Amino acid sequence: MNKALFATTAVAGIGIRQFKRGQSPMSERTALVHAIVDACAEAGLDPADVDGFVSYGDDKNEPVRLMPELGTKELCWSQAVFGGGGGGIAAAFGSAAAAILTGQASAVIVFRALVQGHSGRLSAAVMAHHLNDMMIAAGVMAPAQVCAMRAMRLFEHHGVPTSTAEEFVKACYYHGARNPDAVAYGQTFDHAQYAASRMIAEPFHLFDCSRENDGAGAVLLVSAERARDLRKPPVYLLGVTQGTEKGWGDLAENDVDYASAGFASVVRRLWRQTDLTPADIDCAQIYENFSAQGVASLIDHGFCGYEDAAEFVRMENLIAPGGKLPINTAGGNTAQGFIHGIGIALESVRQLRGESANPVPGARTCLLAGGPGSPTVSSAIFGSAAAFG
Amino acid sequence: MAHSSIEADAPYWAALDEGRLVMPRCGHCGTWHWPAVARCGECGNWGVEWHDVAPEGTVFTWTRTWHPFGGTEGIGTPFVTLVVSIDGAGGKRLMGLLDGDDAGIAIGAKVKGVVGQTRFGDRAVPSFHWHLAN
Ligand SMILES: [Zn+2]
Repeated sequence: MNKALFATTAVAGIGIRQFKRGQSPMSERTALVHAIVDACAEAGLDPADVDGFVSYGDDKNEPVRLMPELGTKELCWSQAVFGGGGGGIAAAFGSAAAAILTGQASAVIVFRALVQGHSGRLSAAVMAHHLNDMMIAAGVMAPAQVCAMRAMRLFEHHGVPTSTAEEFVKACYYHGARNPDAVAYGQTFDHAQYAASRMIAEPFHLFDCSRENDGAGAVLLVSAERARDLRKPPVYLLGVTQGTEKGWGDLAENDVDYASAGFASVVRRLWRQTDLTPADIDCAQIYENFSAQGVASLIDHGFCGYEDAAEFVRMENLIAPGGKLPINTAGGNTAQGFIHGIGIALESVRQLRGESANPVPGARTCLLAGGPGSPTVSSAIFGSAAAFG
Repeated sequence: MAHSSIEADAPYWAALDEGRLVMPRCGHCGTWHWPAVARCGECGNWGVEWHDVAPEGTVFTWTRTWHPFGGTEGIGTPFVTLVVSIDGAGGKRLMGLLDGDDAGIAIGAKVKGVVGQTRFGDRAVPSFHWHLAN
Protein backbone atom coordinates (compact mmCIF):
# COMPACT_ATOMS: atom_id res chain seq x y z
CA MET A 1 0.00 0.00 0.00
CA ASN A 2 1.07 3.56 -0.68
CA LYS A 3 0.58 4.94 2.82
CA ALA A 4 1.63 8.43 1.79
CA LEU A 5 -1.43 8.67 -0.44
CA PHE A 6 -4.04 6.50 1.30
CA ALA A 7 -6.67 8.70 3.00
CA THR A 8 -4.22 11.57 3.49
CA THR A 9 -6.13 14.02 1.30
CA ALA A 10 -9.87 14.57 1.14
CA VAL A 11 -12.59 16.33 -0.79
CA ALA A 12 -13.98 19.18 1.30
CA GLY A 13 -16.42 20.72 -1.15
CA ILE A 14 -18.02 20.39 -4.57
CA GLY A 15 -19.84 22.75 -6.91
CA ILE A 16 -21.43 22.44 -10.31
CA ARG A 17 -23.40 24.49 -12.83
CA GLN A 18 -24.94 22.46 -15.64
CA PHE A 19 -26.95 23.75 -18.60
CA LYS A 20 -28.26 22.40 -21.87
CA ARG A 21 -25.67 22.25 -24.62
CA GLY A 22 -25.31 25.59 -26.34
CA GLN A 23 -27.67 27.28 -23.86
CA SER A 24 -25.47 28.45 -21.02
CA PRO A 25 -26.73 31.81 -19.76
CA MET A 26 -23.21 32.68 -18.65
CA SER A 27 -19.69 32.49 -19.99
CA GLU A 28 -17.53 29.44 -19.47
CA ARG A 29 -15.33 31.24 -16.97
CA THR A 30 -18.27 32.63 -15.04
CA ALA A 31 -19.81 29.15 -14.79
CA LEU A 32 -16.47 27.87 -13.52
CA VAL A 33 -16.07 30.65 -10.96
CA HIS A 34 -19.59 29.90 -9.69
CA ALA A 35 -18.73 26.21 -9.33
CA ILE A 36 -15.51 26.98 -7.47
CA VAL A 37 -17.17 29.48 -5.14
CA ASP A 38 -19.93 26.92 -4.44
CA ALA A 39 -17.35 24.23 -3.64
CA CYS A 40 -15.57 26.57 -1.25
CA ALA A 41 -18.87 27.62 0.37
CA GLU A 42 -19.66 23.97 1.14
CA ALA A 43 -16.32 23.66 2.87
CA GLY A 44 -16.50 27.02 4.61
CA LEU A 45 -13.26 28.07 2.98
CA ASP A 46 -12.57 31.48 1.47
CA PRO A 47 -12.18 31.07 -2.33
CA ALA A 48 -9.27 33.51 -2.11
CA ASP A 49 -7.38 30.84 -0.16
CA VAL A 50 -7.50 28.29 -2.97
CA ASP A 51 -3.88 28.11 -4.10
CA GLY A 52 -3.92 25.31 -6.66
CA PHE A 53 -5.87 24.24 -9.75
CA VAL A 54 -5.81 21.12 -11.90
CA SER A 55 -7.83 20.31 -15.01
CA TYR A 56 -7.78 17.79 -17.85
CA GLY A 57 -9.01 17.19 -21.39
CA ASP A 58 -7.92 20.41 -23.14
CA ASP A 59 -9.72 22.73 -20.74
CA LYS A 60 -9.26 26.31 -21.95
CA ASN A 61 -9.42 28.01 -18.55
CA GLU A 62 -5.90 28.80 -17.53
CA PRO A 63 -6.06 29.13 -13.75
CA VAL A 64 -4.22 32.44 -13.63
CA ARG A 65 -7.20 34.04 -15.39
CA LEU A 66 -9.50 33.02 -12.55
CA MET A 67 -7.54 34.96 -9.95
CA PRO A 68 -9.22 38.37 -10.26
CA GLU A 69 -12.69 36.89 -9.71
CA LEU A 70 -11.72 34.44 -6.98
CA GLY A 71 -9.54 36.98 -5.21
CA THR A 72 -6.74 34.40 -5.26
CA LYS A 73 -3.93 35.52 -2.98
CA GLU A 74 -1.29 33.17 -4.26
CA LEU A 75 -1.21 30.68 -7.12
CA CYS A 76 1.08 27.79 -6.18
CA TRP A 77 -0.05 24.92 -8.43
CA SER A 78 -1.39 25.28 -11.95
CA GLN A 79 -1.59 22.03 -13.90
CA ALA A 80 -3.40 20.12 -16.61
CA VAL A 81 -3.26 16.41 -17.33
CA PHE A 82 -2.15 15.57 -20.86
CA GLY A 83 -4.68 13.80 -23.08
CA GLY A 84 -7.63 15.05 -25.06
CA GLY A 85 -10.35 12.76 -23.76
CA GLY A 86 -11.72 12.12 -20.30
CA GLY A 87 -8.79 9.90 -19.42
CA GLY A 88 -7.32 12.55 -17.14
CA ILE A 89 -10.24 13.02 -14.78
CA ALA A 90 -8.99 10.78 -11.96
CA ALA A 91 -5.39 11.70 -12.72
CA ALA A 92 -6.28 15.32 -11.92
CA PHE A 93 -6.92 14.25 -8.33
CA GLY A 94 -3.51 12.58 -8.31
CA SER A 95 -1.89 15.84 -9.33
CA ALA A 96 -3.85 17.79 -6.70
CA ALA A 97 -2.94 15.28 -3.98
CA ALA A 98 0.72 15.34 -5.02
CA ALA A 99 0.77 19.10 -4.57
CA ILE A 100 -0.87 18.97 -1.15
CA LEU A 101 1.16 16.06 0.22
CA THR A 102 4.46 17.62 -0.81
CA GLY A 103 3.57 21.04 0.56
CA GLN A 104 3.49 22.74 -2.84
CA ALA A 105 -0.14 23.84 -2.41
CA SER A 106 -2.73 23.48 0.34
CA ALA A 107 -6.20 23.88 -1.19
CA VAL A 108 -6.51 22.62 -4.75
CA ILE A 109 -9.52 22.79 -7.07
CA VAL A 110 -9.96 20.00 -9.63
CA PHE A 111 -12.18 21.40 -12.37
CA ARG A 112 -13.59 21.06 -15.88
CA ALA A 113 -15.56 23.76 -17.65
CA LEU A 114 -17.17 23.55 -21.04
CA VAL A 115 -19.50 26.04 -22.68
CA GLN A 116 -20.02 25.40 -26.36
CA GLY A 117 -20.18 29.07 -27.34
CA HIS A 118 -16.68 29.42 -25.90
CA SER A 119 -14.97 26.10 -26.57
CA GLY A 120 -17.07 24.55 -29.34
CA ARG A 121 -18.38 21.00 -29.44
CA LEU A 122 -16.55 18.67 -27.08
CA SER A 123 -16.54 15.85 -29.62
CA ALA A 124 -14.87 18.19 -32.12
CA ALA A 125 -12.29 19.26 -29.54
CA VAL A 126 -11.49 15.67 -28.62
CA MET A 127 -11.14 14.77 -32.28
CA ALA A 128 -8.97 17.79 -33.07
CA HIS A 129 -6.59 16.38 -30.49
CA HIS A 130 -6.19 13.18 -32.50
CA LEU A 131 -7.32 13.80 -36.07
CA ASN A 132 -4.81 13.07 -38.80
CA ASP A 133 -4.87 12.16 -42.47
CA MET A 134 -4.90 8.42 -41.72
CA MET A 135 -8.25 8.91 -40.02
CA ILE A 136 -9.64 11.45 -42.46
CA ALA A 137 -8.84 9.09 -45.33
CA ALA A 138 -10.90 6.40 -43.61
CA GLY A 139 -13.85 8.71 -42.92
CA VAL A 140 -13.15 8.66 -39.18
CA MET A 141 -14.06 12.13 -37.98
CA ALA A 142 -15.64 11.53 -34.56
CA PRO A 143 -14.85 9.71 -31.30
CA ALA A 144 -18.04 7.67 -31.81
CA GLN A 145 -16.57 5.96 -34.87
CA VAL A 146 -13.31 4.99 -33.17
CA CYS A 147 -15.17 3.64 -30.15
CA ALA A 148 -17.63 1.84 -32.47
CA MET A 149 -14.78 -0.06 -34.11
CA ARG A 150 -13.49 -1.10 -30.69
CA ALA A 151 -17.00 -2.10 -29.63
CA MET A 152 -17.38 -4.16 -32.81
CA ARG A 153 -14.26 -6.11 -31.88
CA LEU A 154 -15.49 -6.54 -28.28
CA PHE A 155 -18.80 -7.97 -29.48
CA GLU A 156 -17.90 -9.81 -32.68
CA HIS A 157 -14.46 -11.18 -31.80
CA HIS A 158 -14.50 -11.52 -28.00
CA GLY A 159 -18.10 -12.65 -27.89
CA VAL A 160 -19.36 -10.15 -25.33
CA PRO A 161 -23.08 -9.81 -26.09
CA THR A 162 -24.40 -6.46 -27.27
CA SER A 163 -26.97 -6.74 -24.48
CA THR A 164 -24.26 -5.59 -22.05
CA ALA A 165 -24.14 -2.16 -23.69
CA GLU A 166 -27.89 -1.81 -23.46
CA GLU A 167 -27.96 -2.97 -19.82
CA PHE A 168 -25.23 -0.46 -18.95
CA VAL A 169 -27.24 2.35 -20.54
CA LYS A 170 -30.43 1.20 -18.82
CA ALA A 171 -28.71 1.41 -15.43
CA CYS A 172 -27.59 4.96 -16.20
CA TYR A 173 -31.12 5.95 -17.21
CA TYR A 174 -32.61 4.22 -14.17
CA HIS A 175 -30.51 6.46 -11.93
CA GLY A 176 -30.87 9.57 -14.08
CA ALA A 177 -34.66 9.24 -14.11
CA ARG A 178 -34.57 9.35 -10.29
CA ASN A 179 -32.14 12.26 -9.97
CA PRO A 180 -33.80 15.71 -10.07
CA ASP A 181 -30.51 17.27 -11.29
CA ALA A 182 -30.19 14.89 -14.24
CA VAL A 183 -31.11 15.67 -17.84
CA ALA A 184 -33.04 12.39 -17.92
CA TYR A 185 -35.00 13.13 -14.73
CA GLY A 186 -38.49 11.70 -14.92
CA GLN A 187 -37.86 10.09 -18.31
CA THR A 188 -38.60 6.49 -19.10
CA PHE A 189 -36.19 4.31 -20.97
CA ASP A 190 -36.70 0.78 -22.21
CA HIS A 191 -35.59 -1.72 -24.80
CA ALA A 192 -38.03 -0.50 -27.42
CA GLN A 193 -36.70 3.07 -27.23
CA TYR A 194 -33.12 1.82 -27.35
CA ALA A 195 -33.71 -0.44 -30.33
CA ALA A 196 -35.70 2.20 -32.21
CA SER A 197 -33.12 4.94 -31.80
CA ARG A 198 -31.23 5.80 -34.97
CA MET A 199 -27.93 4.17 -35.81
CA ILE A 200 -24.88 6.41 -35.44
CA ALA A 201 -21.97 4.10 -36.27
CA GLU A 202 -22.53 0.36 -35.99
CA PRO A 203 -22.91 -1.09 -33.43
CA PHE A 204 -23.81 2.20 -31.70
CA HIS A 205 -27.32 3.55 -31.59
CA LEU A 206 -27.94 7.11 -30.50
CA PHE A 207 -28.51 5.92 -26.93
CA ASP A 208 -25.04 4.36 -26.78
CA CYS A 209 -23.51 7.82 -27.02
CA SER A 210 -23.02 10.28 -24.16
CA ARG A 211 -24.56 13.72 -24.32
CA GLU A 212 -22.83 17.04 -24.15
CA ASN A 213 -23.77 19.78 -21.73
CA ASP A 214 -22.61 23.30 -21.00
CA GLY A 215 -21.37 24.03 -17.53
CA ALA A 216 -18.56 23.65 -15.05
CA GLY A 217 -17.76 21.47 -12.08
CA ALA A 218 -15.26 21.94 -9.26
CA VAL A 219 -13.98 19.70 -6.48
CA LEU A 220 -11.94 21.08 -3.58
CA LEU A 221 -9.15 18.85 -2.28
CA VAL A 222 -7.26 19.57 0.94
CA SER A 223 -5.23 17.52 3.41
CA ALA A 224 -7.24 14.97 5.38
CA GLU A 225 -6.29 16.77 8.55
CA ARG A 226 -7.59 20.11 7.31
CA ALA A 227 -10.74 18.52 5.87
CA ARG A 228 -11.75 17.31 9.33
CA ASP A 229 -11.97 20.94 10.48
CA LEU A 230 -14.13 22.02 7.55
CA ARG A 231 -17.93 21.89 7.28
CA LYS A 232 -18.58 18.77 5.27
CA PRO A 233 -17.65 15.19 6.20
CA PRO A 234 -14.37 14.48 4.38
CA VAL A 235 -14.43 12.11 1.44
CA TYR A 236 -10.97 10.61 1.37
CA LEU A 237 -8.86 9.92 -1.67
CA LEU A 238 -7.58 6.37 -1.10
CA GLY A 239 -5.61 5.90 -4.27
CA VAL A 240 -5.17 7.09 -7.82
CA THR A 241 -3.24 5.89 -10.86
CA GLN A 242 -2.89 7.14 -14.41
CA GLY A 243 -1.19 6.42 -17.69
CA THR A 244 -0.87 3.34 -19.85
CA GLU A 245 1.71 0.73 -20.81
CA LYS A 246 3.50 -0.64 -23.85
CA GLY A 247 1.10 -1.72 -26.57
CA TRP A 248 -1.49 0.98 -25.91
CA GLY A 249 -1.71 4.68 -26.75
CA ASP A 250 -2.14 6.92 -29.74
CA LEU A 251 -1.27 4.06 -32.09
CA ALA A 252 -3.60 4.54 -35.08
CA GLU A 253 -5.72 1.52 -34.06
CA ASN A 254 -2.68 -0.71 -33.46
CA ASP A 255 -3.29 -1.17 -29.73
CA VAL A 256 -2.54 -4.72 -28.62
CA ASP A 257 -5.52 -5.31 -26.30
CA TYR A 258 -7.66 -3.42 -28.80
CA ALA A 259 -11.17 -4.09 -27.46
CA SER A 260 -10.23 -3.21 -23.89
CA ALA A 261 -10.67 0.21 -22.35
CA GLY A 262 -6.91 0.57 -21.88
CA PHE A 263 -6.83 0.27 -18.08
CA ALA A 264 -4.70 -2.88 -17.65
CA SER A 265 -1.64 -1.27 -16.09
CA VAL A 266 -3.56 1.52 -14.37
CA VAL A 267 -5.84 -0.96 -12.62
CA ARG A 268 -2.97 -3.27 -11.68
CA ARG A 269 -1.24 -0.36 -9.98
CA LEU A 270 -4.47 0.86 -8.37
CA TRP A 271 -5.13 -2.40 -6.52
CA ARG A 272 -1.49 -2.69 -5.52
CA GLN A 273 -1.39 0.91 -4.35
CA THR A 274 -4.49 0.64 -2.17
CA ASP A 275 -4.39 -3.03 -1.10
CA LEU A 276 -8.02 -3.14 -2.25
CA THR A 277 -9.69 -5.49 -4.74
CA PRO A 278 -12.83 -5.27 -6.90
CA ALA A 279 -14.71 -6.96 -4.05
CA ASP A 280 -13.95 -3.95 -1.82
CA ILE A 281 -15.66 -1.48 -4.15
CA ASP A 282 -19.22 -0.62 -3.06
CA CYS A 283 -20.19 1.55 -6.03
CA ALA A 284 -18.53 2.96 -9.12
CA GLN A 285 -18.72 6.00 -11.34
CA ILE A 286 -17.63 4.67 -14.71
CA TYR A 287 -16.90 7.35 -17.31
CA GLU A 288 -18.83 6.26 -20.36
CA ASN A 289 -18.17 8.21 -23.53
CA PHE A 290 -19.97 5.31 -25.20
CA SER A 291 -21.80 2.33 -23.75
CA ALA A 292 -19.40 -0.41 -24.86
CA GLN A 293 -16.43 1.50 -23.43
CA GLY A 294 -18.25 1.56 -20.08
CA VAL A 295 -18.63 -2.20 -20.28
CA ALA A 296 -14.96 -2.59 -21.25
CA SER A 297 -14.02 -0.42 -18.29
CA LEU A 298 -15.92 -2.74 -15.92
CA ILE A 299 -14.07 -5.69 -17.46
CA ASP A 300 -10.69 -3.95 -17.21
CA HIS A 301 -11.27 -3.21 -13.53
CA GLY A 302 -11.91 -6.88 -12.88
CA PHE A 303 -15.60 -6.78 -11.98
CA CYS A 304 -16.19 -9.40 -14.67
CA GLY A 305 -14.44 -10.96 -17.67
CA TYR A 306 -15.28 -11.46 -21.33
CA GLU A 307 -16.84 -14.83 -20.47
CA ASP A 308 -19.20 -13.74 -17.70
CA ALA A 309 -19.84 -10.15 -18.85
CA ALA A 310 -23.39 -11.01 -19.90
CA GLU A 311 -24.13 -12.41 -16.47
CA PHE A 312 -22.67 -9.45 -14.56
CA VAL A 313 -23.56 -6.49 -16.76
CA ARG A 314 -27.30 -6.60 -16.16
CA MET A 315 -29.32 -3.64 -14.96
CA GLU A 316 -30.36 -5.22 -11.68
CA ASN A 317 -26.70 -5.72 -10.74
CA LEU A 318 -25.82 -2.12 -11.58
CA ILE A 319 -28.50 -0.10 -9.78
CA ALA A 320 -28.88 1.31 -6.28
CA PRO A 321 -29.68 0.43 -3.62
CA GLY A 322 -29.37 -3.34 -3.92
CA GLY A 323 -27.26 -4.10 -7.01
CA LYS A 324 -23.95 -5.93 -6.74
CA LEU A 325 -22.15 -2.84 -8.05
CA PRO A 326 -24.32 0.24 -8.49
CA ILE A 327 -22.74 2.35 -11.23
CA ASN A 328 -23.24 5.94 -12.35
CA THR A 329 -25.68 6.54 -9.54
CA ALA A 330 -26.50 10.09 -10.66
CA GLY A 331 -27.09 8.89 -14.23
CA GLY A 332 -23.54 9.14 -15.52
CA ASN A 333 -22.46 10.97 -18.63
CA THR A 334 -25.37 9.34 -20.45
CA ALA A 335 -28.32 10.37 -18.30
CA GLN A 336 -27.10 12.85 -15.69
CA GLY A 337 -25.25 15.17 -18.05
CA PHE A 338 -21.83 15.48 -19.59
CA ILE A 339 -19.43 18.28 -18.78
CA HIS A 340 -16.57 16.10 -19.91
CA GLY A 341 -17.14 13.76 -16.98
CA ILE A 342 -16.69 16.10 -14.02
CA GLY A 343 -20.23 15.17 -12.94
CA ILE A 344 -19.22 11.61 -12.14
CA ALA A 345 -16.40 12.89 -9.91
CA LEU A 346 -18.95 14.94 -7.97
CA GLU A 347 -21.26 11.94 -7.67
CA SER A 348 -18.42 9.90 -6.13
CA VAL A 349 -18.32 12.50 -3.38
CA ARG A 350 -22.09 12.79 -2.97
CA GLN A 351 -22.48 9.02 -2.79
CA LEU A 352 -19.93 8.71 0.03
CA ARG A 353 -21.49 11.60 1.94
CA GLY A 354 -24.90 9.93 1.72
CA GLU A 355 -26.18 12.80 -0.45
CA SER A 356 -26.81 10.90 -3.68
CA ALA A 357 -30.25 10.91 -5.27
CA ASN A 358 -29.78 7.13 -5.50
CA PRO A 359 -27.99 6.25 -2.27
CA VAL A 360 -26.05 3.02 -1.86
CA PRO A 361 -26.66 2.22 1.82
CA GLY A 362 -23.48 2.08 3.85
CA ALA A 363 -21.20 2.71 0.87
CA ARG A 364 -17.61 2.87 2.11
CA THR A 365 -15.79 3.06 -1.21
CA CYS A 366 -16.44 4.46 -4.67
CA LEU A 367 -14.36 3.92 -7.81
CA LEU A 368 -13.94 6.77 -10.29
CA ALA A 369 -12.76 5.54 -13.70
CA GLY A 370 -11.93 8.05 -16.43
CA GLY A 371 -11.78 7.96 -20.20
CA PRO A 372 -12.21 4.40 -21.36
CA GLY A 373 -10.46 3.83 -24.68
CA SER A 374 -8.42 7.03 -24.45
CA PRO A 375 -4.69 6.81 -25.16
CA THR A 376 -4.12 7.47 -21.45
CA VAL A 377 -6.65 6.70 -18.72
CA SER A 378 -6.87 7.03 -14.95
CA SER A 379 -8.73 5.63 -11.98
CA ALA A 380 -9.21 6.67 -8.37
CA ILE A 381 -10.85 5.26 -5.28
CA PHE A 382 -12.57 7.44 -2.72
CA GLY A 383 -13.54 6.39 0.81
CA SER A 384 -16.20 7.61 3.24
CA ALA A 385 -15.50 9.50 6.47
CA ALA A 386 -17.26 6.78 8.46
CA ALA A 387 -14.98 4.04 7.15
CA PHE A 388 -11.66 5.82 6.77
CA GLY A 389 -11.79 8.82 9.15
CA MET B 1 -1.92 20.26 -48.07
CA ALA B 2 1.31 18.42 -48.79
CA HIS B 3 2.59 15.98 -46.23
CA SER B 4 5.64 17.14 -44.34
CA SER B 5 8.83 15.57 -45.60
CA ILE B 6 10.38 15.56 -42.12
CA GLU B 7 7.69 13.48 -40.43
CA ALA B 8 8.37 9.81 -39.72
CA ASP B 9 5.56 8.72 -42.05
CA ALA B 10 6.70 10.85 -45.03
CA PRO B 11 7.72 7.79 -47.14
CA TYR B 12 4.24 6.31 -46.68
CA TRP B 13 2.56 9.35 -48.21
CA ALA B 14 5.18 9.71 -50.93
CA ALA B 15 4.66 6.08 -52.01
CA LEU B 16 0.89 6.46 -51.86
CA ASP B 17 1.19 9.33 -54.35
CA GLU B 18 2.89 6.81 -56.65
CA GLY B 19 0.20 4.18 -56.09
CA ARG B 20 2.30 1.94 -53.84
CA LEU B 21 2.10 0.76 -50.22
CA VAL B 22 5.29 0.89 -48.20
CA MET B 23 5.61 0.06 -44.52
CA PRO B 24 8.48 0.64 -42.08
CA ARG B 25 10.53 -2.14 -40.53
CA CYS B 26 13.51 -1.94 -38.20
CA GLY B 27 16.69 -2.71 -40.10
CA HIS B 28 18.26 -4.24 -37.01
CA CYS B 29 15.68 -6.36 -35.18
CA GLY B 30 13.10 -6.70 -37.94
CA THR B 31 10.13 -5.30 -36.00
CA TRP B 32 7.38 -3.80 -38.21
CA HIS B 33 6.17 -0.45 -36.94
CA TRP B 34 2.92 1.47 -37.33
CA PRO B 35 2.50 4.34 -36.69
CA ALA B 36 5.82 5.11 -38.32
CA VAL B 37 8.82 5.77 -36.08
CA ALA B 38 12.24 7.34 -36.52
CA ARG B 39 13.80 5.11 -33.85
CA CYS B 40 12.92 1.50 -33.06
CA GLY B 41 11.82 1.38 -29.44
CA GLU B 42 12.42 -2.37 -29.36
CA CYS B 43 16.16 -2.30 -29.98
CA GLY B 44 17.16 1.37 -30.08
CA ASN B 45 18.12 1.32 -33.75
CA TRP B 46 17.66 4.53 -35.75
CA GLY B 47 17.70 2.75 -39.08
CA VAL B 48 14.10 2.14 -40.09
CA GLU B 49 13.73 0.70 -43.59
CA TRP B 50 10.70 1.03 -45.84
CA HIS B 51 9.49 -2.00 -47.77
CA ASP B 52 7.03 -2.41 -50.59
CA VAL B 53 4.10 -4.38 -49.26
CA ALA B 54 1.09 -5.81 -51.08
CA PRO B 55 -2.12 -3.99 -50.06
CA GLU B 56 -3.74 -7.19 -48.86
CA GLY B 57 -4.94 -8.15 -45.44
CA THR B 58 -7.58 -9.24 -43.00
CA VAL B 59 -10.39 -7.17 -41.48
CA PHE B 60 -9.45 -6.60 -37.84
CA THR B 61 -12.54 -4.52 -37.09
CA TRP B 62 -15.00 -2.27 -38.87
CA THR B 63 -17.92 0.10 -38.48
CA ARG B 64 -20.65 1.31 -40.81
CA THR B 65 -21.21 5.03 -40.24
CA TRP B 66 -24.77 6.30 -40.64
CA HIS B 67 -24.60 9.69 -38.96
CA PRO B 68 -23.35 12.43 -41.32
CA PHE B 69 -20.47 13.61 -39.13
CA GLY B 70 -18.90 16.88 -40.23
CA GLY B 71 -16.14 16.08 -42.71
CA THR B 72 -17.81 13.00 -44.17
CA GLU B 73 -19.85 14.96 -46.73
CA GLY B 74 -17.47 13.98 -49.54
CA ILE B 75 -17.98 10.29 -48.75
CA GLY B 76 -21.72 10.15 -48.20
CA THR B 77 -23.46 7.94 -45.63
CA PRO B 78 -23.67 5.11 -44.96
CA PHE B 79 -20.09 4.01 -45.49
CA VAL B 80 -17.89 1.29 -44.02
CA THR B 81 -14.55 2.00 -42.35
CA LEU B 82 -12.12 -0.87 -41.88
CA VAL B 83 -9.09 -1.53 -39.75
CA VAL B 84 -7.03 -3.98 -41.82
CA SER B 85 -4.19 -6.18 -40.56
CA ILE B 86 -1.65 -6.06 -43.39
CA ASP B 87 -0.47 -9.59 -44.16
CA GLY B 88 2.94 -8.51 -45.47
CA ALA B 89 3.73 -6.11 -42.64
CA GLY B 90 3.61 -8.33 -39.58
CA GLY B 91 -0.12 -7.71 -39.13
CA LYS B 92 0.28 -3.97 -38.53
CA ARG B 93 -3.09 -2.30 -39.03
CA LEU B 94 -4.12 0.40 -41.48
CA MET B 95 -7.46 2.18 -41.64
CA GLY B 96 -9.39 2.68 -44.84
CA LEU B 97 -12.76 2.80 -46.56
CA LEU B 98 -14.52 -0.25 -47.99
CA ASP B 99 -15.65 0.14 -51.59
CA GLY B 100 -18.19 -1.99 -53.40
CA ASP B 101 -20.44 -4.66 -51.95
CA ASP B 102 -20.31 -4.67 -48.16
CA ALA B 103 -22.73 -7.53 -47.53
CA GLY B 104 -19.99 -9.94 -46.46
CA ILE B 105 -18.21 -7.57 -44.13
CA ALA B 106 -17.03 -9.26 -40.92
CA ILE B 107 -13.97 -9.49 -38.76
CA GLY B 108 -11.61 -11.96 -40.42
CA ALA B 109 -12.73 -11.20 -43.98
CA LYS B 110 -9.95 -10.95 -46.57
CA VAL B 111 -9.60 -7.62 -48.39
CA LYS B 112 -7.48 -6.10 -51.13
CA GLY B 113 -6.72 -2.41 -51.50
CA VAL B 114 -6.27 0.04 -54.33
CA VAL B 115 -4.99 3.57 -54.04
CA GLY B 116 -7.72 6.17 -54.16
CA GLN B 117 -8.71 9.44 -52.60
CA THR B 118 -11.06 10.58 -49.87
CA ARG B 119 -12.72 13.97 -50.23
CA PHE B 120 -12.41 16.09 -47.10
CA GLY B 121 -13.65 19.62 -47.59
CA ASP B 122 -11.76 20.88 -50.64
CA ARG B 123 -8.92 18.44 -50.10
CA ALA B 124 -8.39 15.05 -51.70
CA VAL B 125 -6.57 12.88 -49.16
CA PRO B 126 -4.78 9.92 -50.74
CA SER B 127 -5.89 6.67 -49.19
CA PHE B 128 -6.35 2.95 -49.63
CA HIS B 129 -9.80 1.84 -50.65
CA TRP B 130 -10.47 -1.77 -49.80
CA HIS B 131 -12.76 -4.32 -51.34
CA LEU B 132 -13.72 -7.78 -50.20
CA ALA B 133 -11.39 -10.33 -51.75
CA ASN B 134 -13.89 -13.14 -52.22
ZN1 LIG C 1 14.60 -2.74 -33.80
